[in-house]
Amino acid sequence: MDLFNNLIFGFSVALSLQNLFYCFVGVLVGTLIGVLPGIGPLGTIAILLPITYSVSPVAAMIMLAGIYYGAQYGGSTSAILVNLPGETSAVVTCIDGYQMAQQGRAGPALAIAAIGSFFAGTVGTLLIALFGPPLADIALKFGAPEYFALMLMGLVAAAVLAEGDMAKSIAMVVMGLLLGIVGTDVNTGAQRFSFGIFELTDGIGFIVVAVGVFAVGEIINNLGDKQERRVLSTKLSSLFPSRQDLRQSWGPILRGTGLGCFFGVLPGTGPAIASFSSYMLEKKLAKDPDRFGKGAIEGVAGPEAANNADAQCKFIPMLTLGLPASGVMALMLGALTIQGIQPGPQVMTQRPELFWGLIASMWIGNLMLVVLNLPLIGLWVKLLQVPYRLLFPAIMAFSAIGIFSVNNSGFEIHLTALFGVLGFMWMRLGFPLAPMLLGFVLGPLMEEYLRRAMLMSGGDPLVFVTRPISAGFIIVTVLILVVMIVPAVRKRRAVIAD
Amino acid sequence: MTIRSLLLKTVAALLALTTVAAAQQYPTKPVRLIIPFPPGGSNDVVGRLIASQLSERLGRQIIVDNRSGAGGVVGTELASQAPKDGYTLLVISIAHAVNPWLYDLKGRYDPLKSFTPIAALASGPNVLVVNPGFAANNVQELIALAKKSPGKVGWASAGVGSFQHLGGALFELQAGVNFLHVPFKGGGPAMIDVVAGHNQVMFSSLVQTTPQIQSGKLRALGVGGLKRSPILPKVPTIAEAGVPGYEATNWWGIVAPAGVPQAVVDRLRKEIAVVQTAPVVLEQFAKEGADVLQMSQADFAAYMASEMAKWEKVVKASGMKAE
Repeated sequence: MDLFNNLIFGFSVALSLQNLFYCFVGVLVGTLIGVLPGIGPLGTIAILLPITYSVSPVAAMIMLAGIYYGAQYGGSTSAILVNLPGETSAVVTCIDGYQMAQQGRAGPALAIAAIGSFFAGTVGTLLIALFGPPLADIALKFGAPEYFALMLMGLVAAAVLAEGDMAKSIAMVVMGLLLGIVGTDVNTGAQRFSFGIFELTDGIGFIVVAVGVFAVGEIINNLGDKQERRVLSTKLSSLFPSRQDLRQSWGPILRGTGLGCFFGVLPGTGPAIASFSSYMLEKKLAKDPDRFGKGAIEGVAGPEAANNADAQCKFIPMLTLGLPASGVMALMLGALTIQGIQPGPQVMTQRPELFWGLIASMWIGNLMLVVLNLPLIGLWVKLLQVPYRLLFPAIMAFSAIGIFSVNNSGFEIHLTALFGVLGFMWMRLGFPLAPMLLGFVLGPLMEEYLRRAMLMSGGDPLVFVTRPISAGFIIVTVLILVVMIVPAVRKRRAVIAD
Repeated sequence: MTIRSLLLKTVAALLALTTVAAAQQYPTKPVRLIIPFPPGGSNDVVGRLIASQLSERLGRQIIVDNRSGAGGVVGTELASQAPKDGYTLLVISIAHAVNPWLYDLKGRYDPLKSFTPIAALASGPNVLVVNPGFAANNVQELIALAKKSPGKVGWASAGVGSFQHLGGALFELQAGVNFLHVPFKGGGPAMIDVVAGHNQVMFSSLVQTTPQIQSGKLRALGVGGLKRSPILPKVPTIAEAGVPGYEATNWWGIVAPAGVPQAVVDRLRKEIAVVQTAPVVLEQFAKEGADVLQMSQADFAAYMASEMAKWEKVVKASGMKAE
């Protein structure tokens, strides 16, 4: 069997001592920068790129890829422990992961995040090996109308994110949309809400908003409480997930992996969309959605799997077509070019050791991450026993360092502080944060795709229903609306009849 | 001559001596190199490559400081305010010559007067590519098609005011055609759309596009340099293929805040000239599709001024500045 032989060949490449070493360095560096907010794989890879000139192309790619998916792992650790989203994609993990930690269940949360990520990484790697090229061709069928229809479906489905007061949830979605508008309009280059401040012309960074409202807001909130915060002396339950935890998690992990693979193959979707989708799906499917936001393990397992599958599958367009789906992938392509390799479909046939070696190394890297992370859980959890008066300045310092490194400027730190205050106010007033962040992520993308679709069709809205893929998403959207509205209408009728 | 003025003159002379001495020893501490774009872009690649080599020659660390925002304006303004002692340098590119026409820089900096040019580093042309399924096989056919259906041929760019946008707008102006401009957030997404056939035309940077051209996912109709590129020797220049005088070349250079001591400029120029032609740099430039660009200080200043004048016309004719 070809695939089998290819994978064996790939492992023989990846398991060489040198490549194992670079894989380990990559995932270790990735984990570290993942824990820190702000400094992400993009900046790290750019800085480390010159180091890779002197090593073999396979080793270079293995290390850079390791940094990238290692960061996805590390991001969840700080999210769960201290509500600090280390990477964009870890924001969703903050919602329930941090609550679990508050209830003394940081161990199971971290463990399930690692297990979910490992499973998703394995599936993602297999998917690249089995179906890379055909999947990339399907992804190319997605133009502006398809992406818009897909995101419209997502936004409608997001109504399930709403909790408690519907008006407050809608207000927060709108708040997110408005914040997402800040910056330069893609189509005309016009400035929107930047008030002549040049630092705002590229928009507000997602990580700035997320760290502000989650990490800083939470700290202000805690310090606002009169009593010294109950340090997590509340009996720490076992470090590892119970049998019930696992039973509750395997479904979300499977579904999250599927969603992550789907979004990962499509180059035009942002980083947090896969994990948000998985979270919404799990909340919708749960028998008791009320538990979400209060430490539901499904809310950690699903999004973490989705996020890692997404990260893994983002390699498909890069490896099979030589097309960059994101800034990180563009850098990896650059690294290949510098090594004298022309990226593109011919890499698979001309440089099989590179293609299969990298794929095998991804699986090895994922395994290393689990081995690296599981023993660390005990250490991480101990960290929570540090008195809060010592812990919170450390969180603030790390946040500030990370945010500063985004653009080496103090402006982002001030902005983060502002969002910290806003986040605190929202928390106290009972405004949910998740809908705001979803609006912030989806809003700008939807606007971009809608306007591009309109531009290219000459203003004809029929473009959304005449193209088959787009029409499919629109039909599903309508179905979701019907399913949501019909019971509500029936209930009202019943009330009126009474 | 009063005692006071004598004193002043003495002090001034002493000060001048110390600056000369300082310049001779330059650099005595790490040098900051501001790159006004995020890591990973062409400015960053060229800047870091030169920085690492220059560090060795100068014997002092060169610290790369990425300060992105507003198409490079944020980092450039920061550099213009730095002390003029040679310890803050700035990597500029074609964006430096275009930004005055896109942004209101009044009260911030003057692209020519606020800086002392140090040295040009490299240049790289753009390339006109189309989706392989598109009917145009050469520049003439593209012009004919675009003239037949004005505003219909989809042209993807990396965003308003980007190098990709400028190259296309110059083509529109000189060939007398009108495409449907579809801006993206960055060159990667734009290229994906052209490969997929959702858009047809792109004026992309040569280096980022070469792999797609060689694998047949995109068809190159012409390169934007004055000469054919050694990477694509069979592809004509756009000028020889039907748009005489067309040239869209991105370039990179190093400048310092205006008034930096000439001794510092001379030292830097001397070392940069060595670094530029070092085999390792030449090799990297070749892979990046860039050519070494060496000019005298005066020529570099004149080149910046001529680029500003050239792109002012294009920006104003295309209406790319948003109000």
